[in-house]
Amino acid sequence: MSQRWNFGESSESAVSRVTPASARFSDQLIAVLPRLRRFAAGLTRSASEADDLVQAACERALAREHQFQEGTRFDSWMFRIVQTIWIDQLRARDIRKEDGDIAEERLGSDEPVRRVEARLALAEVRRAVSLLPPDQRSTLMLVTVEGLSYKQAAEVAGVPIGTIMSRLARARIALQQLLDAGAGERRSASDAKA
Amino acid sequence: MQKHSDEALVAYLDGELDQEDRADVEAWLDADPAVRDRLLALAESAGLVRNAFADFVNEPVPERLIAAARGETAPTPAAEAEIIRLRPVAAKPTAVSSWSRHIQFAAAAGIFGLLVGVGAGYLGNGILAPSGGLGNRPAETASLDNWLDTAAGNYKLMVNAGGTLVDVPASADNGEVLQKISQTLPQQVRLPDLKPWGLNFQGARLIVIDGHPGAQLEYSTDNKAIGPLALIISSTKQPDLEPTPGKRQDLNLLYWRHQGRASVLVGASEIGYLWNIAHDVAWQLDAI
Repeated sequence: MSQRWNFGESSESAVSRVTPASARFSDQLIAVLPRLRRFAAGLTRSASEADDLVQAACERALAREHQFQEGTRFDSWMFRIVQTIWIDQLRARDIRKEDGDIAEERLGSDEPVRRVEARLALAEVRRAVSLLPPDQRSTLMLVTVEGLSYKQAAEVAGVPIGTIMSRLARARIALQQLLDAGAGERRSASDAKA
Repeated sequence: MQKHSDEALVAYLDGELDQEDRADVEAWLDADPAVRDRLLALAESAGLVRNAFADFVNEPVPERLIAAARGETAPTPAAEAEIIRLRPVAAKPTAVSSWSRHIQFAAAAGIFGLLVGVGAGYLGNGILAPSGGLGNRPAETASLDNWLDTAAGNYKLMVNAGGTLVDVPASADNGEVLQKISQTLPQQVRLPDLKPWGLNFQGARLIVIDGHPGAQLEYSTDNKAIGPLALIISSTKQPDLEPTPGKRQDLNLLYWRHQGRASVLVGASEIGYLWNIAHDVAWQLDAI
């Protein structure tokens, strides 16, 4: 601690500036990024796909910044943007499944990668979530993971609260069945090996 | 919603039932052990889902997303479509239970200004050689701006996570921390001891800043006026730069480069305090 810095003499700022309003908006966006990534991870099936989705949502939010209403929840607004883009993408790919229609895919298939994943309980849960129909998956992520109330989730999804309740109940039950099925298949495989 | 249904059980777990419906469900639970088992299974699966996605909020946010949030990327086609309006939030939120709330990430309405502090004159005496400032180097100015934005964003993430957000927690000898940092940075770095300043090392977070891997060293203090402090260190190929102060709304930052290493101190404390700590940090980082 022998040195001394002389910082009393100032000079003109060298660092560029942006307008405070847009900076505030970007800062709100940055603060909510971890939760947007988590939400997107629950909707999509890969980390890169999730980040692409969040990036598109950020760009759209900045383009529509003027549409955000003060007094509303910023995170809900962003969740809704993420969900809207995701649904658009699903429609474009024509892979959206009807509500209530569980994908045929099941946990514990023979694919080596999936077998490895199945050993990891949390990865297995994430995979089970990915097998839910899109509407149920989104509702589960909003309420169970992101902690939105039913009313807030209904606003994000643009549906009545009753629809949120039924989607959520179906999602939870389907998830439980998927996890039980995965556990059962692993037990069978383990017994067969033994 | 039927009173005795899975919907009612799930809504009960989520704390979304009014008093009358809650009493109905509880009477149902009292009367039927099978329903209690079902409720338990539903609660367990909900907990599993939360845990399965909990780590996402602790992961470093990719730099491209931070850039996108700042409007620094070219818009993708998906960003051009229609957007939706939300109605204003109702005055009183719906009553919720602890089941669905305990891992909610506290996204603070952190607001950074971009009024950057003036570059201070500097006279080094051995460790940091004066390099003439940034005034005539616009590209460097933009790079520094990005650096400070990212540093402030990372600091906010740390604060939002409850004060610390670490990949490698502090330990008795901090051996693992040093190992991870040495794997991240091209040159050996000492772990600055800031206990004399009332700052306790909590651990390190591995980040990417301005395209380079870096380490965010996190320090906490009981002094709320000072708050937590982060020291971010990364490698750089740019020439040495004297300590340059910056400001992002309520945060003060002090950035400098020396011998291939870029460092920034970030905190909510006064800039003078940061200068003194930065002085100590620079000395410790360069000590053999």
